[in-house]
Amino acid sequence: MAQEVARQLQNRGELVRMIDLDPDRLDKARQSGFQVEKVNLQDDEELLSLGLDTEVDVFFSLLENDADNVFLVISIRALAPDLPIVSISESEDTVQRLTAAGATKVIDPYQISGYRIYEMVHRPVIAELMDRAVFGKGVDLEIAEIPVPAGSFVDGQYLDQLSLSSRYNLVVLGVVDRDYGDQLIFATNPKRHRIDVNDIIVVIGQEEELERLRRDVTRTGEQDRVGPVFTPPRRDR
Amino acid sequence: MKLADLVVRFAYWLEESSRYRRFKQAAYDLLENPHSRIRPYFDLFMMVLVLTSVFILLYDVRHTPEHWAVKFENLVLVVLVLEYLGRFWVYDDIHKHVIEAYEESELVDEPFRLRRAFYQILQAKWTFVSSPMAVIDLLAIMPSYRPLRILRLFVLFRLFKLFRYTQNLQEFGAVLREKKAELLTLLTFLLFILVVGSSAIYLFESSNYGGDIDGFFEGIYWALVTLSTVGYGDITPHSFEGRLVTMVLILSGIGVISFFTSIVVSAFQEKLGEVRERQVCGRLQKLKDYTVICGYGRVGAVVADYLHRDRHPFVIIDENEEAVAAARRANYLAVHGKAQRLGALHRLGVGANACRVLALTGDDVVNVYITLTARQLDSGIEIISRANHHRTVKKLELAGANHAIEPYKIVGLIAGEYIGQPVAFEAIQGILMGDQEIDLEAVRVPPGSWLDGKRVEDAGLGDLRLILFGVITPPERESDHVRHHYDLTSRRFQFNPGPDFVLVGDDLLLVFGHRYSILRLRHKLKL
Repeated sequence: MAQEVARQLQNRGELVRMIDLDPDRLDKARQSGFQVEKVNLQDDEELLSLGLDTEVDVFFSLLENDADNVFLVISIRALAPDLPIVSISESEDTVQRLTAAGATKVIDPYQISGYRIYEMVHRPVIAELMDRAVFGKGVDLEIAEIPVPAGSFVDGQYLDQLSLSSRYNLVVLGVVDRDYGDQLIFATNPKRHRIDVNDIIVVIGQEEELERLRRDVTRTGEQDRVGPVFTPPRRDR
Repeated sequence: MKLADLVVRFAYWLEESSRYRRFKQAAYDLLENPHSRIRPYFDLFMMVLVLTSVFILLYDVRHTPEHWAVKFENLVLVVLVLEYLGRFWVYDDIHKHVIEAYEESELVDEPFRLRRAFYQILQAKWTFVSSPMAVIDLLAIMPSYRPLRILRLFVLFRLFKLFRYTQNLQEFGAVLREKKAELLTLLTFLLFILVVGSSAIYLFESSNYGGDIDGFFEGIYWALVTLSTVGYGDITPHSFEGRLVTMVLILSGIGVISFFTSIVVSAFQEKLGEVRERQVCGRLQKLKDYTVICGYGRVGAVVADYLHRDRHPFVIIDENEEAVAAARRANYLAVHGKAQRLGALHRLGVGANACRVLALTGDDVVNVYITLTARQLDSGIEIISRANHHRTVKKLELAGANHAIEPYKIVGLIAGEYIGQPVAFEAIQGILMGDQEIDLEAVRVPPGSWLDGKRVEDAGLGDLRLILFGVITPPERESDHVRHHYDLTSRRFQFNPGPDFVLVGDDLLLVFGHRYSILRLRHKLKL
């Protein structure tokens, strides 16, 4: 499991540091070509020496045993109160326990796999599309979040007035307003949302289009120099 | 040879007549076909009829029969005779024997002899007439013949007839048949004790010597009453020897009864799995397009729960008893067995009514095996398989899986997505997992509906508060109003179509929106 995560992260160009306690697993991982450090996971001193509050961006707790994971998450949370911790759980009950222990995000691989199989049975078209869009096989669509900096041309505008989906080849899902928590406000929400600084716009589209939007949003104050309009904008209500 | 010619011609006429075949099939469905829909109703009707007739016959023992009772008895008689003749008729095809014999004689260039065909027919029908069930059927008709009082005894056969109409009783019989040898041993032992016991008591307690026993038959009666631990006490031993015999008989009686009980119980315990499996298979035969889930572990349980929520029929097979028990507790159809076996999957209807196999065990070797077996049974069935190691994906595809799911890889991908953009990912995951009110759904445009031929802009999706993610069209569709399309298997996904994109019947709209918005769109399309 951990090897798979490490491989994915490395493919994305992230810097990964792997640690483990068990000599057998260390051997196995080294044979598969990973660099793994031996760290006693129950020793707070050793854990701190990894640079938890300075160098580490995200901590993954991917041990095979639920109890071990809970223990590790508690230790790390005690050492680094603000560090995002991602963990996995074998069963539904542990999800809550891990969250209580301080995990930021708990992934339940079996739940997700089960649901994805069900999707394939239930609505194969969407399953195939999601397979490609989210899990990246042959379709270069991506979900991206674009933060709105101060002075951006979208600042103060209503989401539906921007008609981003025709100016850029993008589908706008919604906005996260940091002032109201992390919940995504969907673009279909009947309450029209005025974008302000520090909001995050969530869009799906191709990498280049996302880049173009990102560039235009961060460029401040030049409203007339937004990218070319491809088709006439949709009617604004 | 004119008669033979006529018979052959008539046989061919029957063979060709689709009307005759349909009629015979209907009779077969009614009387014999265990999977036909009408059969249970027929069985129920016959049971009620038989029970009523038995009740009336018993009533007549003390009363003079009423006028309507006689009429009813006659009706029962007619139905029973018709049933017997019907079964006699559908048992096999007479005309086929004639044709077979005729063609055989043609082949070897001999004159066709009616006698041989007739002999074959007689043989085949005799097999029916001499079968136990047919004998019971025939005897059950007897008690309607009033002049002969002894025939009243055969009313019991009407009760035996109930066997025919209840599958459970037949299964009971089948289970006991399995233990024939043990039961036979027991019976021999019982007979031996009975003979010894009744002889002894006759010797010691005969009325000549002041005892209660009047004859040998009474001895047998007493021995059986004692042996079975019933002990009426109407006949009691008085002599010392007689009491000794009684004690021995009581002790061996306990042995016989416990032995008999244990045989029956163990027979049922051994057969319990099979009986259950037969029941499951029986229920599956009435279903269509169901899913076979192999392996009820964590993943299997999640899939089963979702399918159950959607009322999609499925059956579970697992080689672990505990997993099967857990599935049964959840009220799912479940069978204990090894899914990789050809027979097991075949019995579950792979190659017949099943439309999908999910190989979800934790063992990749087993999953590959299941995939291979299922593909061998049915070349068109959809197979989704779980790959616990990345290396297995290739093998599963070679074995014939349509899709392979890698649970561990999914975790990796999710972790990777999460690191880059946690907020966006939470949102999309919420949509994907269906645990939010916002959903991504595919909505088909019915041909001829008001959306057929409309431009996207005029479809009014915005008014319904839906976001159009894209349109799925046939693979060859090109449009100037779509900047990017992606080819899926046999379809094309048109991403973010412009307002002038024209929708055509059978297109699939992929929309994000609140569940109610999607429902409303679906509703509007139905009008």
